[in-house]
Amino acid sequence: MSLPSSDLLNSRKFEIATALSLLLFLFRIVFSTVNSPLLLILNELLVLSSLYFWILYITNFINEKEHTPISLVLNAGILNAILFFIIAITTVLFDKLPEDEISFGFFEALILLLLGFITLGIATYIISGFSELMKLKQKRNPAKYFNSMMLFFLFSAILFAYSQFDNSLKSVDNAVYVVAICLITFNALRVSWIAFLVKKQKLQLLIISIVLIILFGFNFSFTMESDFFNQAMINFSPGIYRSLNLIMLYGVIYFVIIFFTALFHLPTAEAFDKKSEEISSLFDLSKLLTSVFDFKDLAENITSITTKVYNSDSAWLLTREGDEYKLSSVSGIGYMQAEKITESVLEKYDYNLSEVLIIDKKKIKFRVRNDIVSFNFDSMAIAPLKVHNQIEGFLFVARKSDSRFESEDKKAIAAYADYAAIALENAKLIKESLEKERLEKEMEVAREIQYKLLPNKIPSFKDLEISAVFIPAFEVGGDYYDFFEVGEKNLAFVVADVSGKGISAAFIMAEIKGIFESLSKTISQPKVLLNYANDIINQSLEKKYFVTAIYGIIDMQNGKLTFGRAGHTPLHLFRDNSVKRLRPNGIGLGLDHGNKFASTLEEMEIQLNNNDILILYSDGITEAQNGINEEFGYDKLDTIVTENWRKNASEISNEIIKNVTTFSKDKAQHDDITLVVFKSNFNNKQIEVG
Amino acid sequence: MADFNVNTREVGSVRVIELKGYLDAHTAPELENTFNSLINDANFKVVVNFNSLKYISSAGLGVFMAYVETMRENSGDIKFTNMNKDVYNIFDLLGFPMLYEFFEDEDLAIQKFNNSL
Repeated sequence: MSLPSSDLLNSRKFEIATALSLLLFLFRIVFSTVNSPLLLILNELLVLSSLYFWILYITNFINEKEHTPISLVLNAGILNAILFFIIAITTVLFDKLPEDEISFGFFEALILLLLGFITLGIATYIISGFSELMKLKQKRNPAKYFNSMMLFFLFSAILFAYSQFDNSLKSVDNAVYVVAICLITFNALRVSWIAFLVKKQKLQLLIISIVLIILFGFNFSFTMESDFFNQAMINFSPGIYRSLNLIMLYGVIYFVIIFFTALFHLPTAEAFDKKSEEISSLFDLSKLLTSVFDFKDLAENITSITTKVYNSDSAWLLTREGDEYKLSSVSGIGYMQAEKITESVLEKYDYNLSEVLIIDKKKIKFRVRNDIVSFNFDSMAIAPLKVHNQIEGFLFVARKSDSRFESEDKKAIAAYADYAAIALENAKLIKESLEKERLEKEMEVAREIQYKLLPNKIPSFKDLEISAVFIPAFEVGGDYYDFFEVGEKNLAFVVADVSGKGISAAFIMAEIKGIFESLSKTISQPKVLLNYANDIINQSLEKKYFVTAIYGIIDMQNGKLTFGRAGHTPLHLFRDNSVKRLRPNGIGLGLDHGNKFASTLEEMEIQLNNNDILILYSDGITEAQNGINEEFGYDKLDTIVTENWRKNASEISNEIIKNVTTFSKDKAQHDDITLVVFKSNFNNKQIEVG
Repeated sequence: MADFNVNTREVGSVRVIELKGYLDAHTAPELENTFNSLINDANFKVVVNFNSLKYISSAGLGVFMAYVETMRENSGDIKFTNMNKDVYNIFDLLGFPMLYEFFEDEDLAIQKFNNSL
């Protein structure tokens, strides 16, 4: 309420109200009868201002507690009953006040004072309660109207007090009284909060309002009669007497209006309840949306809420998985039944609904095992669950009897289905992101294995520069390279690529490392070694996996290279300003389970010269793609080598990697990249000559 | 996610699998399913048409390796046809032409099956 000084601190209001009341009390003790205009004015000032501050304080107090309208009404009723009781008691116990004021004893004065204060308190609380009720469910701020009514109460109170001494303003007093009554009626019409009560509360209110009309009516009529209580009140303060009179009148009018409003609202109460339950279920669903992340839980919640809200016998939910719709949850119906009904209904529409479909009175027959079962329903609503204009599922709601789905239900179900679609989509996305996280963890482990399998030190020689670079892809690709020093004078090397990705590729890599490492110790001929490797891999690997490899051996005394290729990318040899791609025949390891591998495998021998450059790599380099899906290819690789042949092995290697990464900067690295560069310093020309 | 599509046609006793799009570790299971259902229905003569295939990864190649033996044990085979140069290169590098039959055109592969009857 925006009354003057209503923005004071609560404790301050209390202090002022208490102080005023104390002052009033002392004033009344000193002047037990108020018989001069000056005293009367002082008296009224104290009474009305303490009433005002008490109202301010109590209003705040009620505000904080957030009372329901029914409890506010009940409180007003109880206070009225007390007042009624007091009036009744005093009327029975005391006679009329003697006209002669002097015979007023101290005891009587005290009782009068007490009565005055009790009435003051009750009036305060009732007014505060009414002002709270007034504010309920009002779109515009009603304080303006209530405050002006209060103002006229005040005018009326003052005029009434004044007319105790001077009758000349009697007509003005009457006029103000009438205006106050008009304002009362106007304010009393603000009862829209009744609409928001549930049916049960409306019934309660109906009964309570009858009781309250009677109570307020009695109290109002008592204030009109001139018995002890009235005289006592007029004696205490004519202002409060008039206020009380107006409040009682207000109560009567207000509760008569409430009674009729509640009565007229009763027939529509049920529909209103249903609507508000729908709204609150939408709210529940939006809460679910943020609290339930498990898809299955959510699906079950959606069907159970649906049956409850739409007063239906069964509900079931279909969600899309790939290209099919699967039954995700059922409520009030068997799984098989729901499936059969869905089929028979949706096939007609080719699983495509643009809006909620309502089917009335139908009998669906279908076969369950060997029995023909029929399903009867009165009305069935089928809502498509749409996300980004794509149908992600269907929500079925069926009523066996009771009532049909109306066009209004259609709208409500559509809104509900929209919410459900969003919630389900959220749950799906969360599940996917969890899955992604799991995959990332797995890849991390795979990468770690891969790193541990690769050599941590590259051997170095006077006559041969070696550089090796490995760049893993997010999904571990299964690239592997290694160097073995065989005996005193030979260097063996292997570059391999395991098919598949991830943790399985990493495990196969580990196996391959074991195979090459152990075979290289006893077998010096690449062709023989690769044959053995193929046999072992055929026995141990699943059929769908294979490994491509180049295995070679370099005699470090004379620079003779012997190598075999098993399905791997060619070995590029730069010599005399041109690049040759060396591709001896050879099937990938694990591809052939007969004798083709051995019979087709070729071995190649090359005498390395000074400045010969050997490039070995995995297809992660040649198949690296740019933004428009072009592959890096062989030619670019050769050009880079030709242009940079004067540089040392690691500089050439850097140049290649730099070019590949620049080329594929717009695309995520899809496969592991392995690059091994040898640059020969063998000066064999002399040997050849000699 | 890359698009991939498998379509199976019936040409006499031969089944033609048409591949479309990107065949990699993620889409390979779809092709595996196709092969499984062919074997379930005792169809062992298979022609794979690569006309619309854009890319094949090592996991995609692995699918053929996993099933070819079953086909051959049941006097059938997997034959490859209509490959573009890039895809053929990958098969070639791995030595597939030494293990599988490749044809320019689907009809030639079907003919080969029919002739061997």
